[in-house]
Amino acid sequence: MRRTAAITALVLTFGLAACSADSSPLSGDMATQPRVDVPAPAPAQGAGKAPACDPRASLPPLATLPKPGGAMPAGSYMEKIQRRDRLILGTSQDTLLFSSRNPFTGKIEGFDVDMGRQVAAAILGDPNKIQIKVIGYDQRVSAVVNGDVDIVADTMTANCERKRDVNFSTIYYEAGQRVLVSSSSPATKIEDLGGKKVCSVRGSTSYDNIAKVKSKVKPVAVARSAFGDCLVAFQRNEVDAVTTDDTILAGMAAQDPYAKVVGPKFTQEPYGMAMPKQHPEFTAFVNAVLAKNRADGTWQKTYDKWLGAQAR
Amino acid sequence: MVTRPETAGLLTRVRGLRHTSPGRLKLLLATLLTLGLLAGLVAAVAGQSARAGTHDLGGRAQPLLIEAETIYSALADADTTAAQGFLEGGLEPATLTERYDDDLQRASTALTSAARRTPAEGAAADAVRTLSAGLAEYSALVATARANNRQGLPVGASYLSEASNLNRETLQPQARALFRTAQGEVGDGYGAAGAAGWMSLLLLLLAGLLVALLLTQRYLSRHTHRTFNVPLVAATVVTLGLTVGALAVVVNQQNHLGLAEQEGSGPVASIAESRILALQARGDEALTLAARGSGAAYESDFDAVTSRLTAGGGPLVNEYARLDPQLGTLMGRAANSYRAYVATHDQVRAFDDNGEYDRAVDLAIAPTTTQTFESLRSDLNFALEDRKAFFNDQIGQAAGGLGPLTVLGPLLALLIAGLAYVGLRARLEEYR
Repeated sequence: MRRTAAITALVLTFGLAACSADSSPLSGDMATQPRVDVPAPAPAQGAGKAPACDPRASLPPLATLPKPGGAMPAGSYMEKIQRRDRLILGTSQDTLLFSSRNPFTGKIEGFDVDMGRQVAAAILGDPNKIQIKVIGYDQRVSAVVNGDVDIVADTMTANCERKRDVNFSTIYYEAGQRVLVSSSSPATKIEDLGGKKVCSVRGSTSYDNIAKVKSKVKPVAVARSAFGDCLVAFQRNEVDAVTTDDTILAGMAAQDPYAKVVGPKFTQEPYGMAMPKQHPEFTAFVNAVLAKNRADGTWQKTYDKWLGAQAR
Repeated sequence: MVTRPETAGLLTRVRGLRHTSPGRLKLLLATLLTLGLLAGLVAAVAGQSARAGTHDLGGRAQPLLIEAETIYSALADADTTAAQGFLEGGLEPATLTERYDDDLQRASTALTSAARRTPAEGAAADAVRTLSAGLAEYSALVATARANNRQGLPVGASYLSEASNLNRETLQPQARALFRTAQGEVGDGYGAAGAAGWMSLLLLLLAGLLVALLLTQRYLSRHTHRTFNVPLVAATVVTLGLTVGALAVVVNQQNHLGLAEQEGSGPVASIAESRILALQARGDEALTLAARGSGAAYESDFDAVTSRLTAGGGPLVNEYARLDPQLGTLMGRAANSYRAYVATHDQVRAFDDNGEYDRAVDLAIAPTTTQTFESLRSDLNFALEDRKAFFNDQIGQAAGGLGPLTVLGPLLALLIAGLAYVGLRARLEEYR
């Protein structure tokens, strides 16, 4: 009922999705030439701060991809997946466009899920040989480390802290953090939200970034366990705004005509798929799959399918 | 000890009465009158107190327990139904919508009655208030989830999980608290209905009166020329009758209250617990599947519930047949249904753990699975109704004779006092 009052005061605004149109996907050169991690002796380090690194760097791709469904290198992680006959993908089920549950079919689908399917197809010859495990945002690293999932594709920012525990693939999507507010809000950037409640997800880089906002009065960070819960909190007026990657916000704005995404991208969030550190050959394999898909247009097709409308 | 002069004077005078025959007669008369009138008073109080206690037990505490159980199981069922509707995908089937609406209606009706039966302050009242407010919020959340689901917006699933959290983490614990409070009140209610203190006092007074009457008659027959004092003999007969009557009332009452507790409200609570636990397990299954791999907590809850339900001497597997063969059949069948359901559930888990999510969901919401579970539910419902009827019957019988005791007790006591007075006054007259 509170909401009704708020809504009636609003003017219908459409075309909100277009607000996030400036999300830039991978630029051509970076897509084709991923930088290479030079294995260096790990410097003695405290448990706290992650050593400086290049978050975008990954392992060099495998020189030649084995035939999909064919023999995988003996003893490799891909062989293990082949024996199991399915790839276990860790993702979420409430991030529209990237990985969300289609209410009509009950299937989980999106850009991230398709990334996983392409890996499954490269190993098993069938994109449907995939088992989706929904994991919390704060379990994305631990699920890989514990071996609960083979790979995580879940709008996950590759950064140095996470790189200490998992391997990231080359970057498959460039996002940046923005903020979603009510369409009647005067705020034009996150700095305007000092003292306001801003929701993000526990364990995400977006959540940590709220504390780094340079405004006189800092926004009040509110943690939820999934982005869908943030949208629920926003729609029930429990929070004033939601902040996370522009891509995720676009998915929310598409579900709520009374919401808009505002402000510039104030962070860079390069997405990578996370894999176990003890199996570098798997990361190299996935990098080769990504490189092939960038080259043959599969990546672009997937992008157009899920995110194309957001970019127009 | 220092006594005040007046008291000392009164005591001396009373002591002085012992030394003369009319004095002794006066003392005896005073004793008989006091005992008779006290017995009358206590009979009224004991009868009234037991009647009020029995009425409170049968008309308030036990119904409150049933209502708390209804609220609890309706909430658990609503949560399960909503989760299953979610699993079905697409538009929620009409049968599930109907069932959910029915659950909410049952919960709110029971909540209204429970509010009438709880005092304005205390733990029960707090629980009722939280439940009333929470139920409105819960149904609003589910309604929003449905509206979003209809439009194909994934946020509907988030609303549903918010609703489920509210249901499981706030509403159900409050319903459980209300259930426990009601259980405590039923336990206390048996004490109040028994009115054991007043009843024992009444029997003690009647016994005292009987002894006093007999001693008085022995005294009179020794000190006068008459063997029998007719009014006193009549008083003795009436007292004896009253004592036997009161004793019969007490025995009948304790007997039926005992039966009501042992075989009525005890089994009602156990069967109710079985029903709630079974619903909880079914909800756990749906939520484990809905969580898609991050539902380990629900699954371990399922295991805990199942080990409680399948353990011998627990709420589901117990010596119900000893109480009633038909009840034993019902509960035995319910226990078998649950085992069959658990076997299906294990298969569901095997599918899901093996990566065959769709098959797992299909089996979990398959008509055969639903049927197994529904037959469990209906058996438990019948068993619960059976024990409720038994309880009401026993409580009705326990109250038998309390009305006559309340009314006739004081009247007969007055009659006894009157007869004692008449009988002794004739002797006292002789000393004028």
